[in-house]
Order: sequence, then C-alpha cells, then structure tokens
Amino acid sequence: MTVPPVLDPAVLESLRQLTPPGEPDVLKEVLQLFLDDVPARVERLRSAWQSGDAVAVQRAAHSLKGSAGNIGATDLLGVCRQLDELGRAGDLSNAAPLVTTLDAEFARVQSEIKSLIT
Amino acid sequence: MPSLRVLVADDEPVSRTVVGAMLKKAGYEVSFASDGDQAWQHLSGPNPPPVALLDWEMPGLAGPEVVQRIRAQDEQAPIYIILLTSRDSSADIVTGLKAGANDYVTKPANEDELVARVNVGARVIELQIALAERVRSLEEALANVKALQTLLPMCAYCKAIRNDQNYWEKVETYFHDRSGVSFSHSYCPNCYDRFVKPQLDALEDITEAQRRQQGR
Repeated sequence: MTVPPVLDPAVLESLRQLTPPGEPDVLKEVLQLFLDDVPARVERLRSAWQSGDAVAVQRAAHSLKGSAGNIGATDLLGVCRQLDELGRAGDLSNAAPLVTTLDAEFARVQSEIKSLIT
Repeated sequence: MPSLRVLVADDEPVSRTVVGAMLKKAGYEVSFASDGDQAWQHLSGPNPPPVALLDWEMPGLAGPEVVQRIRAQDEQAPIYIILLTSRDSSADIVTGLKAGANDYVTKPANEDELVARVNVGARVIELQIALAERVRSLEEALANVKALQTLLPMCAYCKAIRNDQNYWEKVETYFHDRSGVSFSHSYCPNCYDRFVKPQLDALEDITEAQRRQQGR
C-alpha cells in the first residue's frame, strides 16, 4: 500500500513555477513562511480549545486551513476543515481527537518541509 | 498587461505570499496588507491601487466591511474588489457581492483562475478610466457648442464678434477658436456682380487706354 504524500507534489511544483527568473525560489520562501508562521497558529487553536472558546477555535482553524491548502498539505487541510466546522457549530465536545490528529499531521508536515528545504 | 498595481490583503503570510507571487508572475505590481485596517488605509488614501484582493476573514476589519467603507466614500477612485474566501456557500457570496465587491475567488486560489479574474478587473478599470476621460472631453466640447448657441453681438458693418472678454474678434478667428472650423475665402455670385466685375471692368478699361496710347 502506498502512503499518500504529505504535500501534494502538483501543488509544490506549481509553487516552484511561480519563481521569477533570477530570483529566490518561491516554493522555499513559502515553505519557510509556513514553518515560521504556522506553529503559533496551531498553539492558538490548542489554547482556544482548552479554554472552550469555539469562536477562537473556528478562527484559528480557518486560517490554518488557508495555509495548509496553499502548500498542498491535504491531510492537515482535512483536519483543519473539520475543526473549522465544529467551531462554527459552537460544539467542541468532539474536538479532542481532532486536536490530537492536528498535532500529528502538523508534525508530519513540518518534518517533510524541513527535509525539502535543507 | 502593463504593471497595474494590485493590493493583496490577507493576514496569513503563506496565502498572501502565494497570491502575491502569482500576480507578480502575471506582470502586476503587488502591494500587501496584513489585516483589514491596513487594507482600508491603502484603499482610502490618495492614489489607491485600482485592483484589490481582500481576504474575507481578517483581524480588524473583515473583507466585506472594508468593501462597504470604500463604496460609502463620497469621492470614489475606481477600485475593482475581489474577495478571497474559503466560504463557498452562495449566501456568503451574495453577502460579499451585496457589500459592493465586484467578484470573489475561493481559497486556496487556482493560479489561472485568479490571474484571469484579476485581468478582468484590470480591463474593467481601464475601460472605466477611458470612459471618464471620454465623458470629460465630450463635456468640454458641449460647453463650446453651447457658447456658439447663445446670442452673439456682431458689428453690423465689419461683422466682427464681441467675445466674453469684451474684445472684438474677426468672425473667422472667433469660430475657429471655438469650433475648430476653418474658412477659405471666396465670393458669392451677388458680390461678384457688385464688387468683382466692376473692378475687372475698370482694369480692362485702363489696359485698353494704355494700349491705345502706345499704339498712337
């Protein structure tokens, strides 16, 4: 059984294609931005969930969804989408396993990115 | 497309950078805002970018609120606004368009679609600017036509016309300056009989007299 790639190769390729001639690789820039920016957003989601703030969970999940979608992190995007929906519905009772999955998915994406840009 | 300026407003650095890179690749000059308040500052200041991509959910003012504020301004520079949204329910889209947005793009943006939609915006803005210029020059022409339709004081003898500055101008000059019309000088059959023919006859008489003198 083949494991689906953590980051969609088609998305990565289209990001690479955005690089203007003679300038630094856009793909690398975007992946680095993800590493710099996203951990704080994951942390925000976690603390919002811990304090039972559905609105803040929704907001954090929504922004993570955007970042994940842009780098083709399909599985991470899926978890964020579910958390976004739970937050919007205002019911966090089933959020615990999703937050765990989010952490795991995020760790996978992080290590995949690190292997790509180093 | 020449380098038209586009504002990209999004609080997520990843989305902002990707969208910006897509537009730069398509030849646009891109500026960025990282929240709704910054976007509002860019768009309400002098010389705003003619096309703006606004994220729906931003800290500070959300995309639709920024749109509403822009559209509520008295003096409106033409700005084509595209909302970036991951909400694709039609109720949300209607809300965004009702607020005054011209279009929306769902996130994550597809490069070809995003660029095509921004190109549409650029065309609309260029058309709007060209139309405004056309209206301005037509209004100017209309003002000239109106000036020619008023009662013109004309000298009963030399036919000069008194202009707005109380100065008497030759008829030719007056109309040339206001309507661009040029005059070629000629004579009508009546004036031929009244003025030209007697002069020609007189000339002929003189020549005849001279010839007789020489022949004697």
